[in-house]
Amino acid sequence: MFATFVSTLLSSLLTICITCLSAFAVTLIFKTSTTTNFAQGSIAALGCYVTADLFKKLGLPVWLGVFPGILVGVLSGLFVDVVIFRRGRSVNPVGKQIITMGLVSIIFGGIPLIFGNPESIPFEPFYNAVAAGKKPNLFVPFAGGELVITKHSLICLGITLLVLGSLFALLKFSKWGLAVRTTASSESTAELMGINTHAVTAVSWAIAGGLGVLAAVMYAGGGAKIGVSFMTTIQVNAFLAGILGGFSTFYGPLVGAVVIQLASTCVGFLATVPGFSGITRWNMVIVYALMLIVILIKPQGLLGKPLVKKV
Amino acid sequence: MNQKQNPISNLLKKPGAQILLFVALAAGVQLLSGGGILPNSLVYALGNTLIYAIVAIGFCLLLGYAGLASLGTAGFIGVGAYIAYYMMQELGLPFILALAATIAVSLLLGIIVGFISLRIEGIYLAIMTLGLSETIRNLLMALKPTIKIDLNNLKLFGTPVSDTGSYYLILGIFAVLMLLVANLIQSPTGRAMLAMKNSTSAAQAMGISLMKYRLLSFVIATVFAALGGLLYMVHVRTMTTATSTLLTLTTSLNILGGVVIGGAKSLWGSTFGIFIIYGIQSMFLSKIQFFQKNPAFITMITGLLIILVVMFFPGGFAQIVWELKMKWQGRKLKEKEAAHES
Repeated sequence: MFATFVSTLLSSLLTICITCLSAFAVTLIFKTSTTTNFAQGSIAALGCYVTADLFKKLGLPVWLGVFPGILVGVLSGLFVDVVIFRRGRSVNPVGKQIITMGLVSIIFGGIPLIFGNPESIPFEPFYNAVAAGKKPNLFVPFAGGELVITKHSLICLGITLLVLGSLFALLKFSKWGLAVRTTASSESTAELMGINTHAVTAVSWAIAGGLGVLAAVMYAGGGAKIGVSFMTTIQVNAFLAGILGGFSTFYGPLVGAVVIQLASTCVGFLATVPGFSGITRWNMVIVYALMLIVILIKPQGLLGKPLVKKV
Repeated sequence: MNQKQNPISNLLKKPGAQILLFVALAAGVQLLSGGGILPNSLVYALGNTLIYAIVAIGFCLLLGYAGLASLGTAGFIGVGAYIAYYMMQELGLPFILALAATIAVSLLLGIIVGFISLRIEGIYLAIMTLGLSETIRNLLMALKPTIKIDLNNLKLFGTPVSDTGSYYLILGIFAVLMLLVANLIQSPTGRAMLAMKNSTSAAQAMGISLMKYRLLSFVIATVFAALGGLLYMVHVRTMTTATSTLLTLTTSLNILGGVVIGGAKSLWGSTFGIFIIYGIQSMFLSKIQFFQKNPAFITMITGLLIILVVMFFPGGFAQIVWELKMKWQGRKLKEKEAAHES
């Protein structure tokens, strides 16, 4: 029983990694551009389509094809900030939100035009164990049972830890990180201090676009069906994770992402208990409702610091 | 300026007259279609657009006057739609009772969201309402994935509601709600909301109760959205929550987008914005063969239009109209001066 429970928790490892990457991207943009990027999911989908197309037409393996995909994500992010936001006449935060929403429409319309409308798109994980003639899962004996872990989720965990770890190190120790943190606390003051805030926001958008595509490729590699809006749920969860963990720190949203996905898995596990089998339908309702209650009690988020408002 | 003004343009400044003119035009479209001059599908699409316009004018008050951004609109539309289904289809009750139930439930929901808005603000509030909307959508989906109302279960004052009937019903409700909001924003309530939007602290110092006006604006926006859902079930009569995007973030964003590109402080601007987002696509572009073959282009054009308007006219279409008007008046003034000098 306990082994099954831990196995179930481990099965959400991949979703946790993906949500963490998306949540970090959302937070980075929220802190440097004070807006929520609704196009996060669709830019990610666009990059994932590029990787999938290279895989289908040229037979390029995904671990190689992911780089052109990430490049597309980075360029899309840069495009939003450098071409759209900076050319506009005094664009305010709500205006920026609407612009990212318009971008969602353009990408949603554009993807079928570029890539056609296939029924299903073939895809593979980074390490295609089946093609190599090996088992895709690892079995580890544990507490009188067996733990089942997919190799793909372990690889993704490694990549996520590496990417997020180096980003946090950059934030903490590099000059760029200092500039980001200064811009996040006040853009106009940062500008007065001689920080090139334009470069900071542009790089943030580029990183966010790239992280989104990486997350999408991981998600698709884990068996998710690629579609125009297949990242929307992840994106919504990433926003909510930001609120739950608190946007005031960079690590808060990551904690939120882990908590949301683990809570969802736990509620899902309850369904295997006799008498609770109907609970699967209510899974997300319960998780979201719990989250709303937490936020009402602690509006600044689990790890957030209270906002000081000045007149 | 003591110059005599045209009595017609004076009359058109009154919201009542504007609404009357709009209703006459919209009813005229229906009559033309009844006479076979305009296609039926056009009127049907116009009815659909008007439903979203109802949702939008409530949202306009919330965003443009109270300054609160919400992304929960889709969830509230869903609440209205499901109440309509349970009241009219399952219980077989008349429309009026469904209307009363929708208003009552959404009133309660609006008060709850209003209280939430006292705790958190800004983009946090937007994401929080998004979470609430997702909760509602998942809840509704768990209740019943597909809802459908049979035509003979739709009764208004004992008579079944036809397609024409539902169109006039939507138009009537639109006119009443528009008049309500148009008067509200010119009253002390509207001014209190504007004060609150510009600075909560200053407004409080002037003795404006944040709680009262935030609750009021959320109640109005929520009730209007739920009414939109109710009317959707009267007009379209079927909804598949599991697969359609109607109750997802897309709808909330479309409403927000329509209001912003129309001009968040202008009711007619918002209506026009909704017309751009929902109406043009379903009423005109879908009739052109090129767009029928490539529906993706419609989505792209809408997106591009939204981006361009927000980039260059942050005040939306209302600002474009205003700037044109100012230019026109400036030119007239110059002409007058020139005539004076000579």
